[in-house]
Amino acid sequence: MHEVALARGLLEIVERTLTPRDRRVVRVNVSIGAAAGIVSESLTFAFLAIAEGTRAQGAELVITTVPARSRCRACKTSYAFEGLIGRCPGCGCLGGELQSGNEMVLQTIEVADV
Amino acid sequence: MCETCGCGVPSVHTIAVHERLLASNESIAEHNRLHLTTRKIFTINLMGAPGAGKTTLLEAMIRGRSRSGRFVVIEGDQATDRDSARIRLAGASAYQIETGLGCHLEATQIHHALHHLEFAGGETLILENVGNLVCPALFDLGEHLRVLVTAPTEGVEKPLKYPPIFRAADIVLLNKCDLIPYLSFDSGEWTEYVRGVNPRAAIFELSAATGDGLAAWLAELERRRFGFLGSDASVP
Repeated sequence: MHEVALARGLLEIVERTLTPRDRRVVRVNVSIGAAAGIVSESLTFAFLAIAEGTRAQGAELVITTVPARSRCRACKTSYAFEGLIGRCPGCGCLGGELQSGNEMVLQTIEVADV
Repeated sequence: MCETCGCGVPSVHTIAVHERLLASNESIAEHNRLHLTTRKIFTINLMGAPGAGKTTLLEAMIRGRSRSGRFVVIEGDQATDRDSARIRLAGASAYQIETGLGCHLEATQIHHALHHLEFAGGETLILENVGNLVCPALFDLGEHLRVLVTAPTEGVEKPLKYPPIFRAADIVLLNKCDLIPYLSFDSGEWTEYVRGVNPRAAIFELSAATGDGLAAWLAELERRRFGFLGSDASVP
């Protein structure tokens, strides 16, 4: 359940970003790589639970999935894949160097003054 | 509220953040790494499933009289100080972290532990992570090298089933190789899967129980440590 630790990190950034004028967090937008091994439902559940009693209580967590891409170690083709590991469409070789799909970034926070 | 007419409809604005979710852990990890690097303490994050043989391997490394400096170990387990007791018995100093409900070590726990250990400088510090093939992959502790211990008893498909941790490793050790004759484990197939997930990882096959392959791994460890120490290899 590393999602709890991720949610904790997320809330920490939210709280240190808010100014006294920001009364309430409406929405938190994060992007998560498809191959990062993060379960969106778990992250949302954990965030809801730990945000209780903070200005982010009840905020909507919007998770955008960043597609995963790999570079084949044999034929060097760059290809998109689903799941945690792919197979090169060019030569059939398994996996390769991950080019994207491993990121976990808090992009924006939408806040209300009331 | 609405600044135009004061109607009470909240005005919503967007704050751009663009920060990694684990930024706080990563900044503490950087702090740890700087502290350890300055003191020439080569640090390894040792990860693996429960029962892969991480502690047995450490005992063998400590008893193997490696030239990789004195070993100091920080043990992470959900409960008990059994592993740190085993490490002390093998001849190295150890500090135990009991993580309770935590399923992995985090940089702040290492930072805290470092204040409880004495270093002369030049030691090899091993952070034995909580036995888990999922969560430790995400958390930088401030180490210089990530080593994954796995065993043929876990089956050939582990790299395919748990790619992030195999991807995070600099070195993958296949422990318990003495058991391969008794298992339906194809080393070639397993190696192919590891390479698929992580083309850059160095792979070593060994047995902490019999000592087979241990010398090659210790030589690699020494090579990496000397690389870390740079030209200043005079440190014990």
